[in-house]
Amino acid sequence: MRQLRMMRALGPGSVSSFLKVILDVVFAGLWIAVGAVGLMMLAGLLLSFNPELINQISITVAGTDVLAKWPVMAGSFLATAAYLAGLLVIVERLRKIFATLTAGDPFHPDNVTRLRVIGLALAALELGRYVVWIASAWLLPGKTRVEPDLSLTSWFSVLVVFVLAEVFREGARLRREAELTI
Amino acid sequence: MPIRVNLDRVLLERRMSLTELADRVGVTIANLSILKTGKARAVRFSTLAALCRELDCLPGDLLDYEPGPADDMPDLDGEA
Repeated sequence: MRQLRMMRALGPGSVSSFLKVILDVVFAGLWIAVGAVGLMMLAGLLLSFNPELINQISITVAGTDVLAKWPVMAGSFLATAAYLAGLLVIVERLRKIFATLTAGDPFHPDNVTRLRVIGLALAALELGRYVVWIASAWLLPGKTRVEPDLSLTSWFSVLVVFVLAEVFREGARLRREAELTI
Repeated sequence: MPIRVNLDRVLLERRMSLTELADRVGVTIANLSILKTGKARAVRFSTLAALCRELDCLPGDLLDYEPGPADDMPDLDGEA
Protein backbone atom coordinates (compact mmCIF):
# COMPACT_ATOMS: atom_id res chain seq x y z
CA MET A 1 0.00 0.00 0.00
CA ARG A 2 2.79 2.38 0.96
CA GLN A 3 4.63 1.45 -2.21
CA LEU A 4 1.46 2.16 -4.23
CA ARG A 5 1.20 5.61 -2.68
CA MET A 6 4.82 6.30 -3.54
CA MET A 7 4.32 5.38 -7.20
CA ARG A 8 4.02 8.31 -9.56
CA ALA A 9 0.70 8.99 -11.24
CA LEU A 10 2.27 9.88 -14.57
CA GLY A 11 5.54 9.33 -16.40
CA PRO A 12 7.86 6.34 -16.82
CA GLY A 13 7.39 3.58 -14.25
CA SER A 14 4.00 4.89 -13.14
CA VAL A 15 0.75 2.94 -12.89
CA SER A 16 -0.64 4.86 -15.86
CA SER A 17 2.30 3.97 -18.12
CA PHE A 18 1.72 0.31 -17.21
CA LEU A 19 -1.98 0.62 -18.02
CA LYS A 20 -1.16 2.38 -21.28
CA VAL A 21 1.01 -0.55 -22.37
CA ILE A 22 -1.86 -2.95 -21.54
CA LEU A 23 -4.33 -0.82 -23.52
CA ASP A 24 -1.97 -0.63 -26.51
CA VAL A 25 -1.42 -4.40 -26.46
CA VAL A 26 -5.18 -5.09 -26.19
CA PHE A 27 -5.88 -2.60 -29.00
CA ALA A 28 -3.29 -4.26 -31.28
CA GLY A 29 -4.61 -7.72 -30.34
CA LEU A 30 -8.15 -6.69 -31.19
CA TRP A 31 -7.13 -5.46 -34.62
CA ILE A 32 -5.30 -8.76 -35.23
CA ALA A 33 -8.50 -10.59 -34.23
CA VAL A 34 -10.52 -8.34 -36.56
CA GLY A 35 -8.10 -9.20 -39.37
CA ALA A 36 -8.40 -12.94 -38.61
CA VAL A 37 -12.21 -12.81 -38.59
CA GLY A 38 -12.17 -10.77 -41.78
CA LEU A 39 -9.95 -13.37 -43.48
CA MET A 40 -12.22 -16.19 -42.30
CA MET A 41 -15.28 -14.37 -43.62
CA LEU A 42 -13.50 -13.79 -46.94
CA ALA A 43 -12.57 -17.46 -47.10
CA GLY A 44 -16.18 -18.41 -46.38
CA LEU A 45 -17.38 -16.07 -49.09
CA LEU A 46 -14.90 -17.52 -51.62
CA LEU A 47 -15.88 -21.09 -50.64
CA SER A 48 -19.52 -20.27 -51.26
CA PHE A 49 -18.67 -19.87 -54.95
CA ASN A 50 -17.35 -23.45 -55.05
CA PRO A 51 -20.05 -25.83 -53.71
CA GLU A 52 -18.01 -28.95 -54.65
CA LEU A 53 -15.20 -27.92 -52.31
CA ILE A 54 -17.65 -27.25 -49.51
CA ASN A 55 -18.92 -30.84 -49.76
CA GLN A 56 -15.38 -32.11 -49.00
CA ILE A 57 -15.02 -29.92 -45.88
CA SER A 58 -16.67 -30.78 -42.60
CA ILE A 59 -16.54 -28.63 -39.46
CA THR A 60 -18.18 -30.23 -36.46
CA VAL A 61 -19.19 -28.31 -33.35
CA ALA A 62 -20.90 -30.17 -30.50
CA GLY A 63 -21.67 -33.10 -32.77
CA THR A 64 -23.31 -31.00 -35.49
CA ASP A 65 -21.85 -30.28 -38.91
CA VAL A 66 -22.06 -26.50 -38.83
CA LEU A 67 -21.28 -26.15 -42.55
CA ALA A 68 -24.53 -27.94 -43.26
CA LYS A 69 -26.18 -25.28 -41.15
CA TRP A 70 -24.90 -22.14 -42.88
CA PRO A 71 -27.04 -19.80 -40.75
CA VAL A 72 -25.04 -20.99 -37.74
CA MET A 73 -21.77 -20.10 -39.48
CA ALA A 74 -23.03 -16.73 -40.67
CA GLY A 75 -24.53 -15.99 -37.27
CA SER A 76 -21.38 -16.91 -35.37
CA PHE A 77 -19.30 -14.73 -37.68
CA LEU A 78 -21.71 -11.85 -37.19
CA ALA A 79 -21.73 -12.34 -33.41
CA THR A 80 -17.91 -12.43 -33.32
CA ALA A 81 -17.70 -9.31 -35.50
CA ALA A 82 -20.21 -7.46 -33.28
CA TYR A 83 -18.35 -8.57 -30.14
CA LEU A 84 -15.00 -7.38 -31.53
CA ALA A 85 -16.58 -4.09 -32.66
CA GLY A 86 -17.94 -3.55 -29.14
CA LEU A 87 -14.55 -4.25 -27.59
CA LEU A 88 -12.84 -1.94 -30.10
CA VAL A 89 -15.29 0.86 -29.23
CA ILE A 90 -14.50 0.41 -25.53
CA VAL A 91 -10.71 0.19 -25.90
CA GLU A 92 -10.56 3.06 -28.38
CA ARG A 93 -12.51 5.33 -25.98
CA LEU A 94 -10.32 4.18 -23.07
CA ARG A 95 -7.20 5.10 -25.03
CA LYS A 96 -8.60 8.56 -25.75
CA ILE A 97 -9.45 9.02 -22.06
CA PHE A 98 -5.92 7.95 -21.23
CA ALA A 99 -4.49 10.45 -23.73
CA THR A 100 -6.29 13.25 -21.85
CA LEU A 101 -4.87 11.92 -18.59
CA THR A 102 -1.29 11.91 -19.88
CA ALA A 103 -1.92 15.41 -21.29
CA GLY A 104 -2.78 16.47 -17.72
CA ASP A 105 -6.44 17.19 -18.48
CA PRO A 106 -8.44 14.12 -17.38
CA PHE A 107 -11.65 16.06 -16.67
CA HIS A 108 -12.11 17.11 -20.27
CA PRO A 109 -15.85 17.35 -21.11
CA ASP A 110 -15.38 14.83 -23.96
CA ASN A 111 -14.48 12.16 -21.40
CA VAL A 112 -18.03 12.25 -20.04
CA THR A 113 -19.40 11.23 -23.44
CA ARG A 114 -16.64 8.65 -23.84
CA LEU A 115 -17.48 7.03 -20.50
CA ARG A 116 -21.18 6.95 -21.37
CA VAL A 117 -20.36 5.29 -24.71
CA ILE A 118 -18.25 2.71 -22.83
CA GLY A 119 -21.17 2.04 -20.47
CA LEU A 120 -23.58 1.65 -23.37
CA ALA A 121 -21.14 -0.63 -25.21
CA LEU A 122 -20.75 -2.82 -22.10
CA ALA A 123 -24.55 -3.02 -21.80
CA ALA A 124 -24.86 -3.83 -25.51
CA LEU A 125 -22.23 -6.59 -25.22
CA GLU A 126 -24.13 -8.12 -22.29
CA LEU A 127 -27.43 -7.93 -24.15
CA GLY A 128 -25.67 -9.42 -27.19
CA ARG A 129 -24.70 -12.39 -25.05
CA TYR A 130 -28.39 -13.09 -24.38
CA VAL A 131 -29.22 -12.70 -28.08
CA VAL A 132 -26.45 -15.18 -29.00
CA TRP A 133 -27.79 -17.65 -26.44
CA ILE A 134 -31.35 -17.37 -27.78
CA ALA A 135 -30.13 -17.68 -31.39
CA SER A 136 -27.91 -20.68 -30.60
CA ALA A 137 -30.74 -22.40 -28.71
CA TRP A 138 -32.95 -21.85 -31.76
CA LEU A 139 -30.42 -22.87 -34.44
CA LEU A 140 -28.72 -25.72 -32.54
CA PRO A 141 -31.50 -27.19 -30.41
CA GLY A 142 -30.18 -29.38 -27.61
CA LYS A 143 -26.54 -28.72 -28.52
CA THR A 144 -25.91 -25.48 -26.73
CA ARG A 145 -24.12 -25.48 -23.40
CA VAL A 146 -24.34 -21.76 -22.75
CA GLU A 147 -26.48 -21.07 -19.71
CA PRO A 148 -28.78 -18.05 -19.85
CA ASP A 149 -27.49 -16.65 -16.55
CA LEU A 150 -28.10 -13.05 -15.63
CA SER A 151 -24.58 -11.84 -14.94
CA LEU A 152 -24.89 -9.35 -12.10
CA THR A 153 -21.17 -8.55 -12.31
CA SER A 154 -21.55 -7.32 -15.89
CA TRP A 155 -24.52 -5.09 -15.06
CA PHE A 156 -22.68 -3.88 -11.98
CA SER A 157 -19.72 -2.84 -14.16
CA VAL A 158 -22.14 -0.97 -16.46
CA LEU A 159 -23.50 0.84 -13.40
CA VAL A 160 -19.98 1.68 -12.19
CA VAL A 161 -19.08 3.19 -15.58
CA PHE A 162 -22.23 5.35 -15.64
CA VAL A 163 -21.55 6.54 -12.07
CA LEU A 164 -17.97 7.38 -13.12
CA ALA A 165 -19.36 9.32 -16.10
CA GLU A 166 -21.41 11.44 -13.71
CA VAL A 167 -18.35 11.97 -11.50
CA PHE A 168 -16.43 13.12 -14.56
CA ARG A 169 -19.32 15.43 -15.50
CA GLU A 170 -19.00 17.17 -12.16
CA GLY A 171 -15.20 17.19 -12.56
CA ALA A 172 -15.57 18.81 -15.98
CA ARG A 173 -17.90 21.44 -14.51
CA LEU A 174 -15.38 22.22 -11.75
CA ARG A 175 -12.59 22.36 -14.33
CA ARG A 176 -14.60 24.88 -16.38
CA GLU A 177 -15.24 26.93 -13.25
CA ALA A 178 -11.52 26.84 -12.38
CA GLU A 179 -10.74 28.02 -15.92
CA LEU A 180 -12.99 31.05 -15.37
CA THR A 181 -11.50 31.85 -11.96
CA ILE A 182 -9.05 34.70 -12.35
CA MET B 1 -24.39 37.39 -13.39
CA PRO B 2 -25.45 40.07 -10.88
CA ILE B 3 -21.80 41.05 -10.24
CA ARG B 4 -20.52 43.59 -12.77
CA VAL B 5 -16.80 44.27 -13.26
CA ASN B 6 -15.83 47.89 -13.88
CA LEU B 7 -12.25 47.15 -14.85
CA ASP B 8 -12.43 49.02 -18.17
CA ARG B 9 -13.72 52.20 -16.45
CA VAL B 10 -10.98 52.10 -13.79
CA LEU B 11 -8.34 51.42 -16.46
CA LEU B 12 -9.59 54.42 -18.43
CA GLU B 13 -9.45 56.65 -15.35
CA ARG B 14 -5.89 55.50 -14.61
CA ARG B 15 -4.93 55.73 -18.32
CA MET B 16 -3.49 52.24 -18.12
CA SER B 17 -3.63 49.59 -20.81
CA LEU B 18 -4.76 46.03 -20.20
CA THR B 19 -1.32 44.77 -21.26
CA GLU B 20 0.43 46.98 -18.72
CA LEU B 21 -1.94 45.90 -15.95
CA ALA B 22 -1.45 42.24 -16.91
CA ASP B 23 2.33 42.71 -16.62
CA ARG B 24 2.06 44.43 -13.25
CA VAL B 25 -0.43 42.02 -11.72
CA GLY B 26 1.12 38.86 -13.17
CA VAL B 27 -2.10 37.66 -14.82
CA THR B 28 -2.33 36.80 -18.52
CA ILE B 29 -4.05 39.25 -20.86
CA ALA B 30 -6.48 36.48 -21.80
CA ASN B 31 -7.55 36.07 -18.16
CA LEU B 32 -7.82 39.83 -17.63
CA SER B 33 -10.01 40.02 -20.77
CA ILE B 34 -12.27 37.33 -19.29
CA LEU B 35 -12.52 39.45 -16.14
CA LYS B 36 -13.09 42.69 -18.07
CA THR B 37 -15.83 41.26 -20.26
CA GLY B 38 -17.69 39.84 -17.25
CA LYS B 39 -17.22 36.19 -18.23
CA ALA B 40 -15.27 35.31 -15.06
CA ARG B 41 -16.99 33.03 -12.55
CA ALA B 42 -14.79 34.00 -9.60
CA VAL B 43 -11.88 36.24 -8.62
CA ARG B 44 -9.19 35.12 -6.21
CA PHE B 45 -8.53 37.43 -3.27
CA SER B 46 -4.86 37.47 -4.30
CA THR B 47 -5.80 38.69 -7.82
CA LEU B 48 -8.21 41.27 -6.41
CA ALA B 49 -5.56 42.50 -3.99
CA ALA B 50 -3.00 42.81 -6.80
CA LEU B 51 -5.49 44.67 -8.98
CA CYS B 52 -6.33 47.09 -6.14
CA ARG B 53 -2.63 47.60 -5.41
CA GLU B 54 -1.71 48.38 -9.02
CA LEU B 55 -4.82 50.46 -9.78
CA ASP B 56 -4.75 52.18 -6.38
CA CYS B 57 -8.42 51.50 -5.76
CA LEU B 58 -10.79 49.54 -3.52
CA PRO B 59 -12.56 46.28 -4.44
CA GLY B 60 -15.81 48.25 -4.55
CA ASP B 61 -14.38 50.42 -7.34
CA LEU B 62 -13.87 47.31 -9.46
CA LEU B 63 -17.02 45.36 -8.60
CA ASP B 64 -20.67 46.35 -8.63
CA TYR B 65 -23.76 44.40 -7.60
CA GLU B 66 -26.94 44.58 -9.66
CA PRO B 67 -29.86 42.43 -8.44
CA GLY B 68 -30.73 39.84 -11.04
CA PRO B 69 -30.76 36.10 -11.75
CA ALA B 70 -27.49 34.24 -11.28
CA ASP B 71 -26.70 32.58 -14.59
CA ASP B 72 -25.64 28.98 -14.19
CA MET B 73 -22.72 27.35 -15.89
CA PRO B 74 -23.53 26.21 -19.45
CA ASP B 75 -24.46 22.57 -19.73
CA LEU B 76 -21.34 20.54 -20.39
CA ASP B 77 -23.22 18.10 -22.62
CA GLY B 78 -23.36 20.77 -25.29
CA GLU B 79 -19.59 21.02 -25.35
CA ALA B 80 -18.80 17.31 -25.27
